Amino acid sequence: MTPTRRRWMQGAAALWAAATLGETVRARPARAANNRGERKFLFLFAGGGWDATPLDPKFAADGFSPVDGTDMDPDTVRGELGNLSWSSGADRPAMDLFFSRWINRTALIRGVNVHSAGHSSGRQWMMTGSSASSLADWPTLLAAYAAQEYPMPHVVFSGPAFGGNQGASLVRGGGGTLLRLMDGSIVGESDTPAPVVPTPSDAMADALVYERALAFADSREGLGQRRAEDLLASLDRAEELEGRRFEAGLDSGGGDFLDQCLMATELMRLGLSRCGMVGIPGGWDTHGGNQNVGPQMDTLFDALDQLMTHLATTPGRDAEWLIDEVTVVATSELGRTPMFNGAMGRDHWPYTSMLALGSGIRGNHVCGATDDRFIALPVDLSTGQPADSGETLGTEHVGAALLKLGGLDPEVHRPGIPALDGLLR
Amino acid sequence: MLLLLAACSLSEVEDTGPPEHLHLLTPREQLIRVSVDLRGVHPTEADLLRIEQDPALYADFVDRYLQDPRFLDRASVILNTRMLTRTGTLPFEPGELGIDLTQAEAAAHANEEPLALARHIISNDLPWSEIVLADYTMADPVTAALWDIERESDSPDWTVGHYRDDRPHAGILSMTTVWTRYPSAGVNQNRHRANAVSMMLLCDDYLGRPVSFSRTQIDALTSGDPEDVIAQTPACQNCHSSLDPLASHFYGFWWDQADDARPELQVLYRPEDEPLWQDGSGLAPAWQGRPTMDLVELAEGLATERRFAQCAVQTFWEGLTQRELQDADWTEISAHEQAFLDSDMNIRALVRSIVLSPEYRAAGTSDAELIQRLVTVKTVQPDQLSSIITDTTGYHWTFDGADGLKRGDLQVLGGGIDSQDVAAPSHDPSVARVFIQERLAQSAAYHVARHDLDAERTEPTILLHHVDASTRPEDTEAFEAQIRSLYLEATGIPLGPKAPEVALLTTLWRELWSVQEDPVDAWSGVISVVLRDPRILMY
Repeated sequence: MTPTRRRWMQGAAALWAAATLGETVRARPARAANNRGERKFLFLFAGGGWDATPLDPKFAADGFSPVDGTDMDPDTVRGELGNLSWSSGADRPAMDLFFSRWINRTALIRGVNVHSAGHSSGRQWMMTGSSASSLADWPTLLAAYAAQEYPMPHVVFSGPAFGGNQGASLVRGGGGTLLRLMDGSIVGESDTPAPVVPTPSDAMADALVYERALAFADSREGLGQRRAEDLLASLDRAEELEGRRFEAGLDSGGGDFLDQCLMATELMRLGLSRCGMVGIPGGWDTHGGNQNVGPQMDTLFDALDQLMTHLATTPGRDAEWLIDEVTVVATSELGRTPMFNGAMGRDHWPYTSMLALGSGIRGNHVCGATDDRFIALPVDLSTGQPADSGETLGTEHVGAALLKLGGLDPEVHRPGIPALDGLLR
Repeated sequence: MLLLLAACSLSEVEDTGPPEHLHLLTPREQLIRVSVDLRGVHPTEADLLRIEQDPALYADFVDRYLQDPRFLDRASVILNTRMLTRTGTLPFEPGELGIDLTQAEAAAHANEEPLALARHIISNDLPWSEIVLADYTMADPVTAALWDIERESDSPDWTVGHYRDDRPHAGILSMTTVWTRYPSAGVNQNRHRANAVSMMLLCDDYLGRPVSFSRTQIDALTSGDPEDVIAQTPACQNCHSSLDPLASHFYGFWWDQADDARPELQVLYRPEDEPLWQDGSGLAPAWQGRPTMDLVELAEGLATERRFAQCAVQTFWEGLTQRELQDADWTEISAHEQAFLDSDMNIRALVRSIVLSPEYRAAGTSDAELIQRLVTVKTVQPDQLSSIITDTTGYHWTFDGADGLKRGDLQVLGGGIDSQDVAAPSHDPSVARVFIQERLAQSAAYHVARHDLDAERTEPTILLHHVDASTRPEDTEAFEAQIRSLYLEATGIPLGPKAPEVALLTTLWRELWSVQEDPVDAWSGVISVVLRDPRILMY
């Protein structure tokens, strides 16, 4: 139990005692969020395993001829600016635009070993740096071990979630359903609708339920007590969210990728969440043909451009602009074979590329590398540069760097795993 | 079987008390736990009083619950965490097969095919091996129409049936539901399906194994025919030597998705395609190195594999204890495995062994190592929350006729799975779970208050047995009796003699009454607080 949570419970217990003596039920005093000064994290995830060549292009020195070992999409050429390069083409103009605008805020991570060629295991490795299902993923860890409390520590709008032993910090967005649960409108939508309990009785009811949960937690032990305490924390978070849903604009959120990204960052700006996960739309599992990768990348980078513009023009909670408080990581569970298969598609490949943007990220920088056959080269983790004496970059090294960026000690959460320090500013 | 189980039940519980390091829940709490797990509802107060008077009756109650039809629903939920067929979707619109249903409507039936076989096995006390050895399938009218199955009766329920094409019948290995849920990309040569069999029946995920290739091996993979490289590379053969011969069994269901996705190709078995493995991996169908002729021989091999029994044990143990099996748990689980094998793989006997164990009934332990793994408080899954509230209040939270807590989004928000994107249940409380319980409680409470306070009501009261629309808080005796009764009926745990809840809920009633002077509003609020109790969410 964290000290903060205990403080909430003690406050509530005092209220219970007062209420009992005076036979008057009152709402517990609102608890203002005080979670300033922490970096927030938005994860974007392309389910299915994306083709990593757009972020790690393999062209000959002329910039458009193929190399032995890797097929590039037809009609693509190397796009290049500063230290960054990508595959540019008429079907993905937004990539060029994005890199031209945000090069100094963007790092590419290449040759990341996901230790698997399977979707579910690759997803787990990418998000947790491990195959052990008891381990929470990076955003859940960052949320669960934040220095401050958040009503919705890690919101999963879509995409993967590995709660591990910290599942209580994870809030699944569930499209608009969570919002309808929050504002109570779902009560009126069922086949046998009911009116929502009028305020202020709602707050009184919350206080009564909380006290029952507190008494229940006190009577339990071991993991059971921890689970009961997690219920208390969830009750607290629910109460704060009910009070702040209008402020957060949660009642009017749209459902597409960019809407979800913007809502996630808004929750961060208001101190309601530390982490968010949004699934990147598209069919990335391109066994049957790679023809949609370019247009999907175009859609993604167009949304990223709008997201970064929003972050750069929205006042931050602490810093002048939100872009200095929010780190964005775009990734996928796998890479894909460098050579096309018979269907002009690509099969599963254990090396992939990632994108890191925003707060704390060393911009105009590439970490990791692959050779012409798309096999990872060893890297010096302190710089991210290829080095014969280095080691193969793994998902665990990237994750450890993100933990470090979030103020957590990687050695506590992933002992023995060095961080990819070269990624960090 | 019931008599057999009952005959040996008392001695087990009476003779073997819990180990010293474990202390158990109270008898009342034990009965609530096992009832919620096996039936999805709380016990009656009469039964709770009985077990308080004689805790040795626990095993008798277990045997009774195992015969309850609701146990089959709970077993299906647990088994679906392994089979993952309840996706709510089909890979095509039923109209393409001439069936006039929406995809969701048709999927609600067809997705159940493997679980219907499981229910048939459990309810008839057949060996679990029947899940692959059955020379029949199960079908209801919709599933039969979709998959072209001839049923043995015209019953509107699930009955035994047979596919009309020439497929060999081998339980779930022959089911179109399974192979449309686990399709195989043409170039992957049924390997996805082979791994699905391994995951569903052996709890072994090939893709969970770390992959570590040398640079030379990867070079080889990228330069030649992948099938040749797989065959010649030892690192690949670590998995493929057993995976590929397993995959070779499924070519009768195989079609090249990239070339043709017509639904009729996806639902038919084509015996003439069985030899196509020769063009794929080139490895003949085999199980554990022994050649097999067809799916039936594969099924026989699977059913006699030790991991097959262990996987069933693991599935039910994890589902009932909300623990994830760790190496240190094998000592505990081996007793259940033995009970399972001794009963000829009877699922009821397995479940019985698990829920009779002291670890299952524990409230805590002094064992410093076990306390890190022992789940002493469990959290209801969405289906359990739904059935508890329905059983307590008569209220069913439905949307467009379907159970709200079995819908994809609410189910996932409540910690359940959608069998696709979310494939493992969550047992941790969350903000979403809090909201779900709150909104469900408000809806059910309104239903109860409106019903019970209706002066023209002809049915018995649901929960408001001590008050009517004219009762006011000045009748302190009636209010106290009512509030105590509410907690007892909703949670199964009585309030203490000086419980503050009586005064607090009376005050809440007054506050609610003051808004519109409507007793339905006032009692709705009071009942909703009780239905939001942690003792309903946690057990």
